[in-house]
Amino acid sequence: MSQGWEGMDKDIADFALECARSKKVEYAEVRALSQVQDGVMLRNGVVEAYVSAVDSGFCVRIIADGGIGFASTNKWTKGEAETIVNMAHKYAKSAKRKDKLVFAEKKGVKTKWTVEQKKKIENVSPEERISTLAEVNKALVSSKVKIPATMTSCQINLITKYFVNSEGSRISSFVPKIGAFMFITVAEQGKTEQAYNQFGYSGGWEAFNTWKMPEKMVHTAKVLKDVITKAKTVKPGNMDLVCGPEVTGIAAHESCGHPMEADRILGREMSQAGRSFIYKGGPFWIGKKIGSKAVTVVDDPTVAHSYGYYEYDDEGVKARRRFLYKEGLINEFLQNRESAAKLGVESNGSSRSTNYDREAIVRMANTFVLPGEMTEEELIKDVKYGVFMKSFTEWNIDDKRFNQRYVGREAYLIEKGELTSPVARPVIETTTQKFWTAVDAVSKKVEFEAATCGKGDPSQGIPVYTGGPCLRLREVYVK
Amino acid sequence: MFEIKRGVCEMTDMLSKTEEIAKKAKTLGADQVIAKTIVGKYRQVRFSNNQIDITVAWNDYSTDVTLAWKKRLVATLIHNFEGIDASLKQLLKLAKISQENPTFGGFAKGKFHYAKSKADRKLEDLEKPTDYVFEAIEAAEKEAGKVDSGGILLTKLEDVYLASSEGPVGVDSRSSIEFSIRAFAEREASGHGVECCSTLKDFKPARAGAKAGRIAKLAKGPKLGEEGVYDVIYDPLIHGSLLGVWGSMVSAYAVLVKNSVFVDKLGKKVAPETVTLKDNPAAYSLSNRVFDDEGVPAKDNTFIDNGILKTYLHNASTAKMFKTETTGNAGLVYPTPWNIEMEAGDRSKDEIFKNVKEGLYLTNTWYTRFQNFVKGDFSTIPRDGMFLIKNGEIKQSLKDLRVSDNVLTMLGNIDAISKERQHVHWWGEADPPSLAPYILIKNVHMTKSK
Repeated sequence: MSQGWEGMDKDIADFALECARSKKVEYAEVRALSQVQDGVMLRNGVVEAYVSAVDSGFCVRIIADGGIGFASTNKWTKGEAETIVNMAHKYAKSAKRKDKLVFAEKKGVKTKWTVEQKKKIENVSPEERISTLAEVNKALVSSKVKIPATMTSCQINLITKYFVNSEGSRISSFVPKIGAFMFITVAEQGKTEQAYNQFGYSGGWEAFNTWKMPEKMVHTAKVLKDVITKAKTVKPGNMDLVCGPEVTGIAAHESCGHPMEADRILGREMSQAGRSFIYKGGPFWIGKKIGSKAVTVVDDPTVAHSYGYYEYDDEGVKARRRFLYKEGLINEFLQNRESAAKLGVESNGSSRSTNYDREAIVRMANTFVLPGEMTEEELIKDVKYGVFMKSFTEWNIDDKRFNQRYVGREAYLIEKGELTSPVARPVIETTTQKFWTAVDAVSKKVEFEAATCGKGDPSQGIPVYTGGPCLRLREVYVK
Repeated sequence: MFEIKRGVCEMTDMLSKTEEIAKKAKTLGADQVIAKTIVGKYRQVRFSNNQIDITVAWNDYSTDVTLAWKKRLVATLIHNFEGIDASLKQLLKLAKISQENPTFGGFAKGKFHYAKSKADRKLEDLEKPTDYVFEAIEAAEKEAGKVDSGGILLTKLEDVYLASSEGPVGVDSRSSIEFSIRAFAEREASGHGVECCSTLKDFKPARAGAKAGRIAKLAKGPKLGEEGVYDVIYDPLIHGSLLGVWGSMVSAYAVLVKNSVFVDKLGKKVAPETVTLKDNPAAYSLSNRVFDDEGVPAKDNTFIDNGILKTYLHNASTAKMFKTETTGNAGLVYPTPWNIEMEAGDRSKDEIFKNVKEGLYLTNTWYTRFQNFVKGDFSTIPRDGMFLIKNGEIKQSLKDLRVSDNVLTMLGNIDAISKERQHVHWWGEADPPSLAPYILIKNVHMTKSK
C-alpha cells in the first residue's frame, strides 16, 4: 500500500485514472476515501453498543459523449478498478443527452491539506470517550430535573481522501471530525417535553472542551422543565420577534442556503430535495431583493475547525466564502463544476460528498448571517411587545424553500424591552421574503450550531454549521 | 479480498467464510457473535429536465461483525477477509474496555429453516436501464402534455450470508427495483408517482409516469389554500409517509428512548376498529428478506389489530426486556420495521371521494418534524398535487398549506380505508416501504404562512 494510509491504495486509484484516460473521455476523476469510524451509543448513560470500523473504497466519474457515469467499489484490486471504469464509461455514453454536459474550467491542482488536532483522537482511549459522554448524564442527574430517558451518541470519523483527475489534479487530505448528539425527555406534572442538541467539530478531542456539553444539556433540561411548569402561551398576532443565533442559523440554512444551491435552481434535485423559488425568468434572481439591507448571509467552508470545514471541495476546487444574500439582495449561488458550466460562471467550490460511494453534489458548508453593530440587550430593549425565540424544536420548509415554520423551544415574552416570562411553543410560519424583509437589526455576536444537512439520493447527511447573531424582526405574525 | 462468482459453490464458499468469522471470534473469546456478509450490486439512474443526469453503480463487499463479551456489545465492518484475525482481536479488545449493557439479553438462539428467496438476478445489471426512464416520461407526457420531469431508477441485488454463534446460519438473496418520477406541468403544478417491486416481472414504470402526469395536469393553476380543519383524503404515497412514522414508532427501541407515541399504549385502543397494521417483509416488498439480522425467520407481525396496539417490534434483546418473543425485526443494534401494511378497507377509492362533501385530497408530503414524539405533535408540508374536494369532486388545485396536527389524533380519526392498495416508497419521506390504501382522515388541521 502506498503512503501507509489505512485501507487505501493510492496506486490502485492512479491505475483507475489511467484506465479511464485510455478511453475516449472528456473528463475523468478518481476519488479514494478511507474513514476510520468510531461510534458509541448510550441509553440513559449506559453504553448500548460501540462500533469501530475502517471503511474505504474509491469511485470513478467519467464524462463521455456529454453524459456522466459513476461507479464505486470497496474492493482494492486492479481488476475491480477496470470493472468500475468500464461501467462508468458505459453509463456515461448511454445518457444520450440532447444538451451535452461539460464542467466549468478549472486548472489542475497539486496539494495536500490537513486539519490539526490539539489533542489527537487516536490518543484518547475508548474508556475516556465513554466516560466523557457518561459525564453528561451524571450532570443531568444532578440537575434535579426529572429526565426519564436520554439517548446519546458520539461519532468520530478520521477521513483520508485522495483525489486525482484527468486535468492533472492530485489532492491529498486528512480531516478528523467529531460529532455528538443528545436527545432528552423531561417529565414534570404528568407532562413531557423533549429536545435534542447536536455538537460538531473538525479537529481533535479538544472539541469536548469547546462544546461544554454537560452545561448545555443541563440548560436544555431546565428550559424544558420551565416550559412545562412556568411558560405562558403567546396571544397570536403581529409583534416583534427576536431570533437567537440557533433560530437565525436554521433560517439561514433553510431559506437562504438551500434555495441558493445551483443544482436545485437548475432542477437537478427536482424529484427529491425539490426546486427553488429562485429560477430564471422568475421574480427572484441574482440582484433581486429578498430581504432588508441588514441581511447578509454567507456560506463559508474556511471557518477554522468548523463542522463543515474543507480547503478543497470534492472536485478539487479551492474553497472560499460565498456571499449568498448580500445586504438584502440575492448575490451568488452555490456552484459545483457541472452547475457552473450550465450557468456560465466558475465553480465556487461547493461540491461535497459523504463517502467514496456517493456522487459529489452542491452542498452548503457553514451558513450564517454576518453580524451587525448592536448587542443582544440593545435589540431586545427596543421591543415594546414581542417574543425572544432563542432556540427551536419542530421546523420545516416547503420544497421550493419559501414557506417555513419554526416552533420555539426556549422562548420568552418581551414586554417594554424586558424578558418577562417563558413562552411555550411560540410559532412563526411565514415566507422567506417576509422573514428576511422584516429584519431591522442584527446583533454583533455570532454563534454556531452543528447540524447534519440532508440531500441527495441515496441521502448524504453532511456535516455543517448553521449560525449567526440575533436578528430582530419587526411586526411578524407569531402564534 | 473477496472473490465473487456466481453459482452454488461460490455461495457456499462465502457462507463458509462468514461462518469461519463467527467461529474465530468465539475461539478468541467472544461470548456470542453474529457475522453478516453482504455482496451487493446497486445501480441507479438519475434524471431531471427529461434527460439523464448520471448513471451510477455501487459494488459493495462487506461483513458486519457484532459480538458480545460479558454483556458488552461491539461491532465492526470488514471489507477484507485477509486481515480478519487482527480485526477480531481489535474488536474483542474494544469489548473488554467498553461498558456492560445490563439490558443486553443475548442474540436469538435456535436452528431455523428459511423460506427460499425469490430474488430476481436480472436486477444485478439491467442492459438498458435508461429505457425505463424514457418509458415513464413518455407516459407522463401522454397524460399531461409537455412536462418537466425528474427522478430515479434504483435496482438492488444483495446476497446475504449470516452466521450466528447461537445457531442461525443462512443465505438470502434480496432484489428490488424502484422508480420515482416527479412531473411538472407548470412551475407550481406537479405530480409524483412511484413504482416499487422486488422483481422485474411486475415492474411497470409507465404506471408511475402516468400517475405523475395525471396529478400534474390536475394541479395546474393552484390557488393559495385557506387555513382550517378539513376532512382529508390521503393518496397511498402520502399515506406511506404516515405509515413510515407509525411503523418506526412501534420499534421497541423507539419506545425505550421515548421516540414514540406508543409508549405505555400496549393493549390500548389507538385507532378505530377498521384499522389493522402489520409489518411484513414479504416477497413482493422492497424490504423482502427471509431472516432478520439475528437470523430469526422474518414474518408478518400485526401490531395494531382492529385498532388495538398488540405488540412492539423486537429483536431478541428487547423482547427479553418486554418479556415477550422476538418478532424477527433485529437490525444491527435495535429492532427496525421492514414493510408496513395497512389492511385493505371495504370501500373503493371512488366511494371514498364521493362521500366527501368538502375536504382536501393530498398526494405527497415531505419534511415531517416533531415537537414531541411521545405527544405526537408535528407538522409536515404537502407537495405536488393538493386539491379542494367539493361534493365528491376535485374542484380546485391548491398550494402552500401545511399539515400541523398530531399523529395519534390522526390515527384515531381514520374514517375510511380503500380496497385498492399500492406498494410505495420514496427517498426518506415514505420510508420504510409500505402497502398503503387511500384513507380518509377527519378533522385534520391545516395552517399556512402569514
